[in-house]
Amino acid sequence: PAALPPAALGFTDVNLNSRNTYEVSRRRSAPEHLPHGGTAPAEPAPPPQEPAERARHRVGIAGAGSSFAEFFTRNFFTKKTKELKPAVQSAPGWKLFGKVPPRENLPKDSKIIQQEYEARTGRMYKPPAPSARRKNIEFEPLSTTALILEDRPANLPAKSVEEALRHRQEYDEMVAEAKKREIKEAHKRKKIMRERFKQEENIASAMVIWVNEILPNWEGMRATRRVRELWWQGLPPSVRGKVWSLAVGNELNITPELYEIFLSRAKERWKSFSETNSENDIEDAGASVADREASLELIKLDISRTFPSLYIFQKGGPYHDLLHSVLGAYTCYRPDVGYVQGMSFIAAVLILNLEEADAFIAFANLLNKPCQLAFFRVDHSMMLKYFAAFEVFFEENLPKLFLHFKSYSLTPDIYLIDWIFTLYSKSLPLDLACRVWDVFCRDGEEFLFRTGLGILRLYEDILLQMDFIHIAQFLTKLPEDITSEKLFSCIAAIQMQNSNKKWAQVFASLMKDNKEGDKNHSPAPKS
Amino acid sequence: MQKHNQKEHLYKLLVIGDLGVGKTSIIKRYVHQNFSPHYRATIGVDFALKVLNWDAETVVRLQLWDIAGQERFGNMTRVYYREAMGAFIVFDVTRPATFEAVTKWKEDLDSKLVLPNGKPVPAVLLANKCDQGIDVLMNNGIKMDQFCKENGFVGWFETSAKENININEASRCLVKHIIASESDPVQSVEPDIIKPHLNSSKIVSCSACFKS
Repeated sequence: PAALPPAALGFTDVNLNSRNTYEVSRRRSAPEHLPHGGTAPAEPAPPPQEPAERARHRVGIAGAGSSFAEFFTRNFFTKKTKELKPAVQSAPGWKLFGKVPPRENLPKDSKIIQQEYEARTGRMYKPPAPSARRKNIEFEPLSTTALILEDRPANLPAKSVEEALRHRQEYDEMVAEAKKREIKEAHKRKKIMRERFKQEENIASAMVIWVNEILPNWEGMRATRRVRELWWQGLPPSVRGKVWSLAVGNELNITPELYEIFLSRAKERWKSFSETNSENDIEDAGASVADREASLELIKLDISRTFPSLYIFQKGGPYHDLLHSVLGAYTCYRPDVGYVQGMSFIAAVLILNLEEADAFIAFANLLNKPCQLAFFRVDHSMMLKYFAAFEVFFEENLPKLFLHFKSYSLTPDIYLIDWIFTLYSKSLPLDLACRVWDVFCRDGEEFLFRTGLGILRLYEDILLQMDFIHIAQFLTKLPEDITSEKLFSCIAAIQMQNSNKKWAQVFASLMKDNKEGDKNHSPAPKS
Repeated sequence: MQKHNQKEHLYKLLVIGDLGVGKTSIIKRYVHQNFSPHYRATIGVDFALKVLNWDAETVVRLQLWDIAGQERFGNMTRVYYREAMGAFIVFDVTRPATFEAVTKWKEDLDSKLVLPNGKPVPAVLLANKCDQGIDVLMNNGIKMDQFCKENGFVGWFETSAKENININEASRCLVKHIIASESDPVQSVEPDIIKPHLNSSKIVSCSACFKS
């Protein structure tokens, strides 16, 4: 009955305002994470001491009155208590508003209730069959007993036998229910702990295999079935960077010395840029400044917007300068590509797993892969080929969803651009993104598109219920509670075969079409 | 569409402008009523939906397309422009170069997109981060009016996603022009003929909507 405090009101307000259909649908996608509305009805409230004190106080006040009043009340109370002893004994438990005072004789057995009832009414009642009687449950919630099990106060008509019994039964059911829930939750917790423990053991034993067996014989073992299977399970974080480096390779033959050269060149440019920039104002900002901005100012702007929740790449963070250096050196190394948004995420993930120069080497070589080069050069017609190949496998694997998307003209560029440009490091939780990178290093570009299809498969049921804008919102901001087990089982279920043609063949045939249609090629994409 | 005399409009709106000018922040403020200095860079496009009870008979659903700001993506993001009904072009008052880019964005928009009646899509110019204490524009109000006229903006607003300044107003201005251009497809929609909205109590600096 009490009004909510203003703070609580404000809180609900904010929640309601920010709750859009999108969030609702996200919740729908993860029902197991819904906050439990009513927990067990049997949450034991700490037994309050206060009512007993208040009662004492009340008596004190009465006693401080006139002697007549004192005499009267005292007499009145004692008489009353004597007369209705059983009822008064159970009365402290009965309070409509306010807390339940502690009771000494709790919990009451139905037998006692029955006896009390019989004592009061003078009637005998045949006890019910033992099965309906209360079992010995050690789980004893306090507060719920208050209203259900107690007799009514003396000034109210007593419960009937049937009512008392029914209340007892209902109470038993509630307790049993709560107990069951508790046991279930304990089991779940145990299971999670067991799994975590097992996972850690697996990682530890996998690490030994990677370090002692695979890495020393990399070229000989990398393609073996055993290694490939172990690889799919996810790389142990301690060897992750090393395996990525080896798998990406160094076709470009970049050395740490070369990195230092490009880094110092970048530093010179920053210096001259900041010097000229201070003299520039809005009037004479020419094309050259715009150019410099494109490669340098943009990096600065984007660095603080790279994994902002980690607080390590932002200004003053431990990896801020490192990320700046790797990206700056790259723009000097590949002025033909320059800095393109999305690169900061890739460089950041590498920095988290590799030493500075190694991170740069892996970064430059990774971006030199055909798919990455097509995207980061924003070669639109090539990108469309990749999307088209993706759609071939989309239709093959998820025909229903494919048609659903088609009906809304929802093309892959809506969601794939973000996924491919950042190699999922922005759209998936970081640990999961690293697992995608693991297999991407094993399988190449094909795995990026397979992962995309795995995501679509994982959420297929939800997506089929959504319209254009909600699908678009959903896919550009995936649920944060996505788990690697679920995602990887969905990815595993995606077949990268289209009428006996593999990804590379499908893509190659699309490229052939491209060459033939080049004469009258139109830049406007169809959807 | 007609339900109990209620009309429902669905408009696709673009939010464009240079990198880091606050496009995502403006949308988050407008749709989710909150602000964070830590939004991640937008790659490709992000989406939001805002439902407005325009008046007693009209519900307006705004599909907001938050488009990545790097110029390089220009070719790629052209497909995102398709069928848009209006646009916000955003710049950052603390970075003059982003204002320089405004005309480029406007030209890009008009070259890639026209309304079914052949007119350019209504566009509102947003001078964002006006909370940063840079008063360049306050003193240049007339210049800005002139700029909007020359470049075909239906209005301009100083906005702050951080302090929640003028974002609702800017949106109302844009939607008003879209509705006007829809209901009157033949006549040209000159900013001057739009009747001012007098019930706004906030300080509003939209040149086109609120003068006359």
